[in-house]
Amino acid sequence: MIRLTVNGRAVEVEAAPDTPLLWVLRDHLGLVGTRFGCGAGMCGACTVHLDGVATFSCLTAVEDAAHQQITTIEGLSPDGSHPVQRAWVAEQTPQCGYCQSGQIMRAAALLAANPTPSRDEIVGEMSANLCRCGTYPRIIRAIERAARED
Amino acid sequence: MTVTIHPSRRRFLAGAGGLAFAVLSGGGISVLRPSAQAATSTEPGVPVDAWVTIFPDDRVIIRYGAAEMGQGVSTSLPLIVAEELDADWDRVTVEQVSQDPQRLFGNPAFGGNLFSAGSTSLEGYFTALRIAGATARRVLIHTAAAAWGLPVDEVSTEPGVVVHEASGRRLRFGEIVALEEIRTDVLQVFEDDLKPREAWRLIGSGVGRRDIPGKTRGEAIYSIDVRVDGMVYAAQLLAPVEGEAPTVDNDADALSVPGVIAVVPLANSIGVVADTFEAALAGRDRLRVSWSTGSDFRSADSADELAQLAQAADDFSTEPVTWEARGDAAGALSAEGRRTVTAHYTTEHVYHAQMEPLNAVASVDHDGKGADVWVGSQSQTISLAVASHVLDTTPDRIRFHAMQMGGAFGRRTVFARDLLRDALLLSKTVGRPVKLIWTREDDVKNGWLRPATVHRLDAVLDETGRLEALRHRVASPSIMQFAFPNRWDPESRRDLLVMEGTESADYAIPNLLAEQVLVDRRSRVSAWRGIGWAPNCFARECFLDELADAAGSDPVSFRRDLLRDSPRGLEVLNKVVKMSGFGNPPEGRAHGLAFAGYKATLGAGVAEVSVTEGRLRVHRFWAAVDPGIVVHPLSYVGQVEGGIIFGLSSLLGERSTFTDGMIEQNNFYDYEILRIDAVPEIEVALVESGSPPSGGGEIGVPMTGGAVANAVRRLTGTQPRRMPFDLGDA
Ligand code: FES
Ligand code: FES
Repeated sequence: MIRLTVNGRAVEVEAAPDTPLLWVLRDHLGLVGTRFGCGAGMCGACTVHLDGVATFSCLTAVEDAAHQQITTIEGLSPDGSHPVQRAWVAEQTPQCGYCQSGQIMRAAALLAANPTPSRDEIVGEMSANLCRCGTYPRIIRAIERAARED
Repeated sequence: MTVTIHPSRRRFLAGAGGLAFAVLSGGGISVLRPSAQAATSTEPGVPVDAWVTIFPDDRVIIRYGAAEMGQGVSTSLPLIVAEELDADWDRVTVEQVSQDPQRLFGNPAFGGNLFSAGSTSLEGYFTALRIAGATARRVLIHTAAAAWGLPVDEVSTEPGVVVHEASGRRLRFGEIVALEEIRTDVLQVFEDDLKPREAWRLIGSGVGRRDIPGKTRGEAIYSIDVRVDGMVYAAQLLAPVEGEAPTVDNDADALSVPGVIAVVPLANSIGVVADTFEAALAGRDRLRVSWSTGSDFRSADSADELAQLAQAADDFSTEPVTWEARGDAAGALSAEGRRTVTAHYTTEHVYHAQMEPLNAVASVDHDGKGADVWVGSQSQTISLAVASHVLDTTPDRIRFHAMQMGGAFGRRTVFARDLLRDALLLSKTVGRPVKLIWTREDDVKNGWLRPATVHRLDAVLDETGRLEALRHRVASPSIMQFAFPNRWDPESRRDLLVMEGTESADYAIPNLLAEQVLVDRRSRVSAWRGIGWAPNCFARECFLDELADAAGSDPVSFRRDLLRDSPRGLEVLNKVVKMSGFGNPPEGRAHGLAFAGYKATLGAGVAEVSVTEGRLRVHRFWAAVDPGIVVHPLSYVGQVEGGIIFGLSSLLGERSTFTDGMIEQNNFYDYEILRIDAVPEIEVALVESGSPPSGGGEIGVPMTGGAVANAVRRLTGTQPRRMPFDLGDA
């Protein structure tokens, strides 16, 4: 039994200690908004916050997350009103949407650490996440908007 | 034009509720009272065949037949219906059609099948959906007028309301559908029942996409997210080489992994079923399996295939398949003393890399003759047929749940043939619902690739430098033959999925010959975003720049001349030249131009590039696109941007290679797709010509190859001739 704090709630899960956090979130806890894209730290679809830091949950053993605050897309805001989520809607960013939970989580962590990032800082940070639909221009615009409006 | 709708079923179903309108594939329409029993829709009371349902509380449900894979059809198609209905968009709910036993919702561009590919949804559905909306509006207007005892031409609509302006009388749509007497004898729609363009409030407007808010909250559900009571997970050990079959040497170690339930040999794989996906993967790692060794594909090698294609392109002893012939290109080319130019271009194999790895959920009934199926498919029709075939049952026993897709790009049309089959067989074997997931490595190694192509182009320039004859020869395996065998005609051997675009229909070329030299496939092949247009336009547009030089002309004038009979083509060309300030790049950079139609959609693009120490950088990209009429500009521009990025990705570095029949790449670390740091500033202008609407999903792709290659040549003097570009020699 492993104890975790997910989106502010204490939960217990029955999983081997080296199970990737991604499967624990998605399959054990039903938080399917965190996506599986590569399982190799290459796409960022699985990005969550561990103590506020954007982290690939596919490469994080669940036991290593046990003492940290885990935040998933479902817990980023109570009602989708986080400035990054609002900016994402305003810029009409998602297409298929599959990568977008991860993009939003990374963008939110970036803005928390650096509220007014330069374009180079945005691009540098967001390079960890892939979007096959090609929403990159709108991701940049949405982050700039969130930085401006928040 | 008179649009006539033949009412084919006017039977009213008993029961309370509002009105439902169903358009039949033959153009008929029926108006129904929704019944509680008929419902398989998520909304109780909505009959399965209703396109539009209006409830007494003013809610409107509009259903759409195309599948959502990111292109925005879940907004753009219902928007067309809502426009003609004059619905209050805020009261509209949209709903995906999963199953279509009466063939009411099929895409007219695909023979009435539910099939979303090739950017055909808007084109195929536009008129049918306008008529559906207009018919519903007509019924409402006539019903309200009758209730008021007024002539129908004195009443009109505002969003969600029928009004009689003179008296100020108003009836909301919800109030009308609750009336006793509904006029169902007015199902004939005439041209003046369709709104004139000036009256459109929704088409062309900036309303947001319906699916976006949920996608920012992680609430969108793809098949990989489906959870069913009692569901277990499966991983697959797939044959290393196409066509090989497994023998299990030892499954005891796999079965000893806690949580593993079963090891199931299948035709070309072994399924490992477990309580959790991590257990299924761990079990798979411990399987010991021998594979048969007789497959022809054991010797498949991508480098050999490319060499073979190059040879075939120049080998005039084999009979090619003619795709298009105008005038006498062969005659012009063989005539004595003409100025001819010849060049070759190559494109390598590429993989779709949709972000959601392939997966499916199947729950087979206890009698083995029915199932629930959840899958993201570009064709509900094909997937349903596969499921009924696998279970040897009738389609009515398959409860098909069409899921939105985490990207598709051509990968999810016929893949269902194997992955969906295996999910069903696994569920049938273990007697529980099964979610079968491919890892990214499975997805990469079992890709259905866009085949490699080698193009040989020959041209004759007349004494004034005009293009008099063009031969575009493509050496390639056939995609149609492999991926859509039942649409492949072994007589004509015409391969739409490879050849389309080589006809260069917008260019005035008096003598043109487009032909395919068929070479046996050495990998699984399929259509890929941009289809044949991407390689074909790359080759042709590079060649045109070389010809322009040979003719002493320039890229713009040479193409303007070729577009002399295509006002729409000229318009986009001139627009992009103007937007980009073509030919005046900043110091150290160069501009390249390409014109690219994609079926009825016309586009032209300009790339601004630099090359530093062999490193190519695309700084800016401008595109002008004529979509005919644009239904939902936000989605459309997003599709064009996405297409440009997809195209750039393929030319900057995507490449699948195989040796000994095995794809060598594994994951995104060795199959690299474009990241945000390589994306240029993109500017897209839509130049509406008012022609019928045409799709935007592909058009961005074909213009990229030529535009970037032509810019590189201008900068370095060396023409890239191979995609992805290798700038070692530039
Ligand atoms: S799934 Fe974790 S980085 Fe791709
Ligand atoms: S929106 Fe489809 S992968 Fe990013």
